[in-house]
Amino acid sequence: MIYLQLFLEFFHIGLFSFGGGYATLPFLFHIAETKDWYSAKQLTDMIAISSITPGPVGVNVATFAGYTTSGILGALIATTSVILPSIIIVIIISKLLQQFKHNPYVRSVIYTIKPAGCGLLAAVGVNMFLNNINLFGMVLFVALLILSFIKKRDPLFYLGVSALFGLLYSFVGFIK
Amino acid sequence: MEKTLYNIYKTFFKVGTLLLGGGYVILPLLQSELVDKRDWIDNDELCEYTALSQSIPGLIAANLSIFVGYKLKGTMGALAAISGMITPAFLCIVILAKVLEEIIKLQFVQGIFWGVGIGVLILIYLAIKEIWNKSVIDKFTFGVFFVVFLFSVLLKVSPAILIIAAIFLGVIRQFRISRSGSGGEK
Repeated sequence: MIYLQLFLEFFHIGLFSFGGGYATLPFLFHIAETKDWYSAKQLTDMIAISSITPGPVGVNVATFAGYTTSGILGALIATTSVILPSIIIVIIISKLLQQFKHNPYVRSVIYTIKPAGCGLLAAVGVNMFLNNINLFGMVLFVALLILSFIKKRDPLFYLGVSALFGLLYSFVGFIK
Repeated sequence: MEKTLYNIYKTFFKVGTLLLGGGYVILPLLQSELVDKRDWIDNDELCEYTALSQSIPGLIAANLSIFVGYKLKGTMGALAAISGMITPAFLCIVILAKVLEEIIKLQFVQGIFWGVGIGVLILIYLAIKEIWNKSVIDKFTFGVFFVVFLFSVLLKVSPAILIIAAIFLGVIRQFRISRSGSGGEK
């Protein structure tokens, strides 16, 4: 039953991803490795699309994966499932805001879970880097990295510049 | 503007449409739409909700929308806000998914995707740096980071298992602190 599988996979992503939109990536790559819903290459394309379309990346990829596996209903189920844990958790916390903030166990779990989320994201970064980089990409990456050291910029700046260089690159005909 | 469910939906629809390039962009957007233009909440509340959104599971943009929606008009407000936030994303992807197979074959589209992929690597690097600064603050948290990183890269352990392990670690740590009688965090 594909709908139930979509619900379970994306519900657990919504429940276990800590640290923002890109924190869903380790889970999404794990799906690519263990299920035949999409390949790692397709996921990389999806991430690129998500970055230049509206909305949080995690929601975009959920919609996309749901749609490619089982059409519009699949898209609805995957999208709802990924945000359902947030809806439940945030509403409960909003009701108990004061107790939640000062509970020592909650604070201790937050203390250990944040670096864990950071480690997961770093692992994804390393994997994506090793899978996608070539000489020209390395040059572009380092150039953008240096720009990021000089001044804090809008995320759209990096995406715009890199899209432009990608476009030029494809005209010169060096692509893969 | 009055805090009706329709207005909440509309406002978050607008924020969702402008939300390009990842969840971290949402904070300045909400500041402009909710604090400056509409005076629905103040900056302190927004910052508190942002910090909370980052320390619980789920997408930050989604969590933050639900917090603000709940504050504005209870559970229904929360549902209106999150629906508004994801409607543009949903429509956009469903439309794109239909034509994607065709356009992805084009050479120049592949070039753009390839380039954006490099841009995304930079954004991931910046996200790691941001989270690192807030989370890896001593030897203990560095150890957690390093162990999770190794298990994930080398052994391909499921992320959910590593997160659950980190939750247990946090509970055990606090249990030991409470028992030793020192109380609270170090």
